[in-house]
Amino acid sequence: MSHPPSSRDRTPRDGSETQDAGRIKVGVSELAIATGGETLTTSGLGSCVAVALVDRSTGIRGLLHAMLPNGTGTDTGIERPGKYVDTGIETLLAELEAAGASTSRLEARVAGGAEMLDLTDAVGPRNVARVEQSLDAVGIPVVERAVGDGVGRTVRFRADGRLVVRAADGFERTL
Amino acid sequence: MRVDVRALGACNRLAERGARQAAGALTDLTGTDLSVEVTGASVASGEDLAEAFAGRESIGVSVGLRGGLEGEAVLAFDAENVDALLSLLPGGASMGRSAVTEVGNIALGGFLDGWANYLGAAIDMTPPRYFEADGAAVLPDGALAGDGVFLFESRLDATTTDLDFSIYMLPDSGKFRDLVVGKTAPAAASGADGGAGTDGTESTAIPYESLSTFASLAKRGSANAADNIAMMTGLDTSVDVSRLRFVPLADVPAEVGVEPHAGTVFELQGEPSGYLAILFEEESAAKIAASMLPSEPDEPLGGMAENALCELGNVMTSGFIDGWANVLGTSITHSPPEFVHDIGSAAISPLVAKLSRRQDYGFVIDAAIQTEGVQARCDVYALPDERELARALDRLSEP
Repeated sequence: MSHPPSSRDRTPRDGSETQDAGRIKVGVSELAIATGGETLTTSGLGSCVAVALVDRSTGIRGLLHAMLPNGTGTDTGIERPGKYVDTGIETLLAELEAAGASTSRLEARVAGGAEMLDLTDAVGPRNVARVEQSLDAVGIPVVERAVGDGVGRTVRFRADGRLVVRAADGFERTL
Repeated sequence: MRVDVRALGACNRLAERGARQAAGALTDLTGTDLSVEVTGASVASGEDLAEAFAGRESIGVSVGLRGGLEGEAVLAFDAENVDALLSLLPGGASMGRSAVTEVGNIALGGFLDGWANYLGAAIDMTPPRYFEADGAAVLPDGALAGDGVFLFESRLDATTTDLDFSIYMLPDSGKFRDLVVGKTAPAAASGADGGAGTDGTESTAIPYESLSTFASLAKRGSANAADNIAMMTGLDTSVDVSRLRFVPLADVPAEVGVEPHAGTVFELQGEPSGYLAILFEEESAAKIAASMLPSEPDEPLGGMAENALCELGNVMTSGFIDGWANVLGTSITHSPPEFVHDIGSAAISPLVAKLSRRQDYGFVIDAAIQTEGVQARCDVYALPDERELARALDRLSEP
């Protein structure tokens, strides 16, 4: 499967982050949605980019951890839509809609896309640019970002729709 | 026998899917969320496996496989995790062995469902057998015999408690070999002879013997790298683990983990091209750097330490790839070192991303090198380009 199924829904729908609400880990090239109070997490974002989308009126959220900007011309023949920013956002939007969210109500928070190495020609900034472009095309506003620089990040997407971004040096920001 | 790398990818996906089913079954049984961290196929000799598992004590459950797939599958826990496991189960610690057996039965059943669906043939399981084992005895029967096996290994991790365990599957050659060479996996293989892929790229089929040769070559590379550390630092070094595995590239960052690491990365040019990363946990990095410097540095991982680690990275990388070029009859050079100091998975993710433009799965050589006296260890990850490696290995088998 290209992404893990959501954890069992055994959570209160009040949107609060509780001990029992559970945590859904999103790996590299994966995406997941949360319809209850689960915290979506993804770790070790270097040049990869995390896109967190929330529909505040339903509380439905989705998180993508994409590795490369776009799939065109680089198709390796294996289905993993979350690998690319463009196919990842497309798939995430479809899953959010299917779960009851409305694209017109979504807002985005973006983290990652660091320039970790000189060896790997700025894949981080290109990932971020692609995110902005893809979201702009469907009219989803990016309300906050923690992108670029040369620092790795880990994120937690809370039930209240805020994205907690922790940098490698331990510095934490809530977007 | 020729192994088609893409068919191997398809098999790996099945193992991954199976592991997810097993995780789901266990989540339902225990009420604890479990996720699949890594699934990979080791290409290893019995001797390598015995070394890699030395000193581990495990309890586990094994089942024999008949029908669509033949061989053996094992679910194993580290012995020290057993109490944590039992506390999660209905009936708790009083259930002991029978509870573990039941867990094994359910998880392995889930694991095999995916394979059975794909093959369109039932896989029968013999009744589960509980066992306690030291070292590599945990592995399925037959893993230690012969000079090369594919061993599928998935690591499952509990998100809220400290409980992780592994599923190993060792398929018998016959039917499984048909899968790996692509005969029964038409969707994944590019042709009966493993010839040109549908996208017009070159062959990804590799003679199995060459793969096994390359595995031992990789091991020699690790030993060379360790010798070079000894030479530069004066510390005794040893290679703890050195494995050649076939894994989804997207899993590699998770394997490195979220602890802060420091080290160096290199780009390899030639045949095969690719990347090599040498990563130390922070404390190890500081210790190793200090051992190379004439006086204690002002900052544990400041400029002086950075220079020392780059220098060390240079000689290790040369040692690592020297053997490849000799045996493959190609020329491989490496870029100057680039220093990294960050979350481990973040440091390696750009390398994985770059390689992922052309492939979703890859051969990863990982080695753990340990120094004595000053306690430090590092992990070396080599990520060669799959097609170029296949081409070089193919030439190796030509008379």
